[in-house]
Amino acid sequence: MNYFQLFGLEDQFDLDTTKLAEVYQSLQKTVHPDRFAHASSQEQLLAVQKSSMINDAYQTLKKPLTRATYIITLRGTEMPNEQASFGDTAFLMHQMELREMLAEIRDSDDIEAAIFNAAQTLDEEYQQLFNVMQAQINENTPETNLLASDNLRKLKFYQKLQIELDRLEETLLDD
Amino acid sequence: MAYSEKVIDHYENPRNVGSMDKNDPNVATGMVGAPACGDVMKLQLKISAEGIIEDAKFKTYGCGSAIASSSLVTEWVKGKSIDEAAEIKNTAIAEELALPPVKIHCSILAEDAIKAAIADYRTKKA
Repeated sequence: MNYFQLFGLEDQFDLDTTKLAEVYQSLQKTVHPDRFAHASSQEQLLAVQKSSMINDAYQTLKKPLTRATYIITLRGTEMPNEQASFGDTAFLMHQMELREMLAEIRDSDDIEAAIFNAAQTLDEEYQQLFNVMQAQINENTPETNLLASDNLRKLKFYQKLQIELDRLEETLLDD
Repeated sequence: MAYSEKVIDHYENPRNVGSMDKNDPNVATGMVGAPACGDVMKLQLKISAEGIIEDAKFKTYGCGSAIASSSLVTEWVKGKSIDEAAEIKNTAIAEELALPPVKIHCSILAEDAIKAAIADYRTKKA
């Protein structure tokens, strides 16, 4: 049973996260330890395992990028190793520029504005790439699934940039 | 996780940080990235007509191990022929810097950066 089936959902990328959260709550109730207080130790163990699977499924489906990874893998698209190097030169050159943009915030005259602008740039570029990936996943052909997996790897670089920006904001605007 | 002394040394005093003109026909540029940690590494080599690496510069955004790996590589490749540089293995980098298993991918990234730079050079000269 895959995570979508576990939640009684269609195997598709676009989903209602409110509904997902509701199903999660009701599924967790069915395996709550209180219900198994008088059950055999084997039944208790099974309930704990089921609960942990429901939790893994929820965590995976809740966030768009892990959901994308899951659905692409489910379709049998070969995902490159997480640790494998990425060699799209033009994309990486641009990533370098974005990193430099973040590095320059520290010396900016108006740090708050610089952070705001950087956040906006990152957000726009992430969203644009995300929309492309989403359309590719929804098209669901072997070719578009491969393209989506490539864009998914690119989106992870943006996720990292976002973390860097958050960290920068914390250090620079703390006082 | 503690960094080895060599990693800290390269991290605090990185060798050969900088950029060269990527449009110079004798400059090879290798760009690699690691989606898992978001590291981005640029390695540039200035190669003589005889195919000897005369100078090397790097710029890396990433963790200490990624910076140390690329810094070390710039020291190692200088004076080598491109064929010799292509022989540098990530295991040698990891061993020299005493990288822990979770940071081995940083040394792989540095090896891939050399390969990418050499591939760029061959394309330019083709």
